[in-house]
Amino acid sequence: MRPRPLVRALAVLGIWLVPILASAQDTKPADVLVSRQLAESEGLTVGNVIRLSTDGAGTHAREFRIAGIYEPTPDPSRLGQVPRAVRLHLPDLLEMTRPADVPAGAEYVSSVNVALTDPRDADQFARDVNARLPGVLALPSGEAAGSAGPFRVLERFHLAIAVVTIIAATVFLLALTIMLVDERRETVGVLRLIGLPVRRILTQILIEGLLVASVGAVFGLILAVLSEQLINYFFQWRYDTALVFVRITRDVALTCVTIAVPLGASATVVASWALLRRGGLRLARR
Amino acid sequence: MNAIGFAWRSMVRQPARAALGILGVAAVGALLFDMLLLSRGLIVSMQDLLDRGGWDVRVSMGELPGSGLRIPDAVETAEAISTLPSVQAALVMRSATAQIDRASGEPLRASFQGVTTRSSDPAGSRLRAPWTILRGRDAEAPDEVVIDEKIASESRLEPGSEITMRASCNADVEALPATRLKVVGVAEFPFQITNESTTGGTLDALRAACGGNAGTEADLILVTSTSDADSTAAAIRTLRPEVRAATNTEVVGRLQQTGFTYFRQISSVLTTVTVSFAVLLITVLLTVSVNQRLGEIAALRALGFSRMRVVKDVLSESALIVGIGGLLSLPLGLLLASGLDRILKGMPGIPVALHFFVFETQALAVHIGLLVATAIIAALYPMRIVSTLPIAATLRDEVIG
Repeated sequence: MRPRPLVRALAVLGIWLVPILASAQDTKPADVLVSRQLAESEGLTVGNVIRLSTDGAGTHAREFRIAGIYEPTPDPSRLGQVPRAVRLHLPDLLEMTRPADVPAGAEYVSSVNVALTDPRDADQFARDVNARLPGVLALPSGEAAGSAGPFRVLERFHLAIAVVTIIAATVFLLALTIMLVDERRETVGVLRLIGLPVRRILTQILIEGLLVASVGAVFGLILAVLSEQLINYFFQWRYDTALVFVRITRDVALTCVTIAVPLGASATVVASWALLRRGGLRLARR
Repeated sequence: MNAIGFAWRSMVRQPARAALGILGVAAVGALLFDMLLLSRGLIVSMQDLLDRGGWDVRVSMGELPGSGLRIPDAVETAEAISTLPSVQAALVMRSATAQIDRASGEPLRASFQGVTTRSSDPAGSRLRAPWTILRGRDAEAPDEVVIDEKIASESRLEPGSEITMRASCNADVEALPATRLKVVGVAEFPFQITNESTTGGTLDALRAACGGNAGTEADLILVTSTSDADSTAAAIRTLRPEVRAATNTEVVGRLQQTGFTYFRQISSVLTTVTVSFAVLLITVLLTVSVNQRLGEIAALRALGFSRMRVVKDVLSESALIVGIGGLLSLPLGLLLASGLDRILKGMPGIPVALHFFVFETQALAVHIGLLVATAIIAALYPMRIVSTLPIAATLRDEVIG
């Protein structure tokens, strides 16, 4: 097992931070990384020396030098929480947080990340650790990423909204096509009177419906791509995160086209069918 | 015949078209209604959940209760808080993770909530636990616990049964000896998380279950004030500046700034999209309908119908489609909301009693307002068409055409 050299400070809420001048130090303080959001809110820059303590009173505060400012990895489960975080070397963090009665080396760590020579062994490795070390829970990275849970639920929620939207759109589409077909009643009547069979007229209407639906689907996709950027910009600004909220992938675009085009064409044919059952004379009559 | 009656007859003459228009508005309206319920649903539900317990101030170390930071010397702090004149009662609460052994299969994972049961005064009255007893009685002795319905049904336990629990007060990795506890009641825990089990007992029971490893810390102190909660919270902050005391409204306000905002934002975006969708489609429906009846409208004008009258007819038709569709959207929306609520409650970490969609009169008023605006805006363009319709030219075109 190879522990990560840096450990994210889990909660910076209890760690108070006061920048002081670097020149005042006799010994070189240990290095820390500061999140961009914390650096911006407190006006911190690389090279600043800060004091960190585990309580609000600032007891046993220790000085650290900011070696860098990092962009936190976007974490869906922490959406809405501005990541005001500091990353310390693990020995420094343990030194600060170790209770007085706990000897060095006997502290708890919340987790240990393990990189395997062959990542395909993850399941077997986790089983071995769980069997050999009672009280320790080992999970392959995929299963440990519990934060994906809320987003699977959101995916189902958005799918349900999409289904309702499609139902509403279909109803409106039917109403519109009934009206549009009705408008062309006389034309259809004349076509019937000059001898075109119902099947031929229906094919023509179907092709026309397909064309209109395809153009509509392409227009919808363009609108979606434009709004994708708009929505992402808005939410990234609102939550100060690099998370991507909307992404129009090829699969999403294909799904939309697969639903929209047949739906549009079918609505045209269904609306026309009722009209075509009438006789040519009745249709052409004013 | 008035404008509404005339518009009604126009719709009845084209039943399929009118029915589809109304159904479309009902579906869009249901979605719109749900988005309005969602915009404040979590906040209203959380406020209700917090208020329901009767504790109006929550004292914790972190910005929000449940942040993981613990109050040191919690019982002493609670006793000090109890001495404040505006404080009626202060209850210390500590949580631990626990495993309940089962006759067969994996142990059941649960959380154990330990609370102080008596006020600081030895003769003081018993404090109300933050759970509701459904069967049996509340836990009072250090070897007694109450369990939730989930544990009771899954492990077939009832008041009088005994359980073996391994609780861990400091870290999940502790290996502690098992403790035998007597189940004295089945309770409902207001903040119980979906798919998780909860047990409750006294602070002494929790200490015993943790093998005396609980220390003097606690997660939360719940306070009931005798008067204004804001002034009580301020008094606690003055007394103990190191702790965070927040009223229920303040807790909801803080939640509103963090996790709850996503649903508010998504609801705003979807409300805007839904209303725009409805306006666009009703405009197209009415415009096509009016265009098909231009000759008829011109004839009515020639017969003496005023310009204002034909405009009113179009507006009335829009109002009827949106009005009937809007009425249908309410039961449809409530039905859809219950389904969507079930989906969203599958999210981990959400209390069972919390709801995402909550009915509010304010939401209904906004819904009606938006539908009225939709009916008017959607009718603007077709109203313009009929108001500027040249009577003679239209009639001549109709005859020649």
